Amino acid sequence: MMEPSNGGQVVVITSGKGGVGKTTTVTNVSMGLAQLGFKVVAMDLDIGLKKLDLIMGLENRVIYDIVQVIEGECTLRQALVKDRRFPNLFMLPAAQTRNKDDVTEEQIKNLCAELKKEFDFILIDCPAGIERGFRNSIAAADWAVVVTNPEVSAVRDADRIIGMLESAQFQDIKLVINRIRPEMVRGGDMLSIDDLLNHLCIDLIGIVPEDDGVVISTNTGEPIILNQRSLAGRAFYNIARRFAGEEVPFLDLNHTGSLWDRIRMFFSKQVG
Amino acid sequence: MIILLDFARRKGSANSRSKANDRLQTVLAHDRIGTSSGIMEQVKKEVIQVIRKHVDTEEPEVSLISRGRQPVLDINIPLKGR
Repeated sequence: MMEPSNGGQVVVITSGKGGVGKTTTVTNVSMGLAQLGFKVVAMDLDIGLKKLDLIMGLENRVIYDIVQVIEGECTLRQALVKDRRFPNLFMLPAAQTRNKDDVTEEQIKNLCAELKKEFDFILIDCPAGIERGFRNSIAAADWAVVVTNPEVSAVRDADRIIGMLESAQFQDIKLVINRIRPEMVRGGDMLSIDDLLNHLCIDLIGIVPEDDGVVISTNTGEPIILNQRSLAGRAFYNIARRFAGEEVPFLDLNHTGSLWDRIRMFFSKQVG
Repeated sequence: MIILLDFARRKGSANSRSKANDRLQTVLAHDRIGTSSGIMEQVKKEVIQVIRKHVDTEEPEVSLISRGRQPVLDINIPLKGR
């Protein structure tokens, strides 16, 4: 989005509804930014229900967690888990046996201020819901990404979250539409990109098509972005490039109608 | 017969996207101002009472719509001519 001014930028990835792809987005965009050469931390703030370590495939490397850092049981550096694939990518794990009330907004702000000195991007994996965990997650963020699916309940929760972010004085809120199925949109049975933009009225930063490969990558702990032949992997890579300020064209669902167009789309780099 | 049934089913579900859009439009407008959708019937009743003190009207249309993220009350009251 913007060039890092005083150190790095903190981005919260949120959604309201659970299961729409927040952790998958944090994982893949963090990895994409690391591929682009940025120094990145992916921070799991879903304290009590952690997933980021598992989705990133780093669960066996976790020693300490964020609550132990805050309570002074270990240093921040000790708790940061280094990625296996990219030397400039780190993950800060949530605590599994604690709850969201064990950390405060002030503590998260201090932690992020510390991380900003050394990292270009700090991506926060926000818990579902609008309670304490959400408030902690947005406290230190410079801008926000709302992830939604083309489905009425996800859109309703996204709208509520956008309203809350606006009340918290966020100027920069971007939308990721995850799990879209172009053939269902064409058949009149799924909300389209334009439908979602009309309802939510915020800028788009990514369109990720439904892709079976995401399930497989979750099983193996190898994020889908590592597979550049997959549509979702390329879509996440494009989101990372947009985070870095690049202008990357979006997938145009209106021109994916004919078989020829679909073949062309498949071989085109300008996806999502 | 199977083909016909399939065709009928397809036709029946062909507008689920527009139905989703209509439902979302209403529910989001109400979420944004913090009211339930039942409130519009009450508004309609009271609006017609006020207007009919002065002029004769047809049944008004009262709906909550959104301009961008701004909720707007849209009231359309056709008046009865002589």
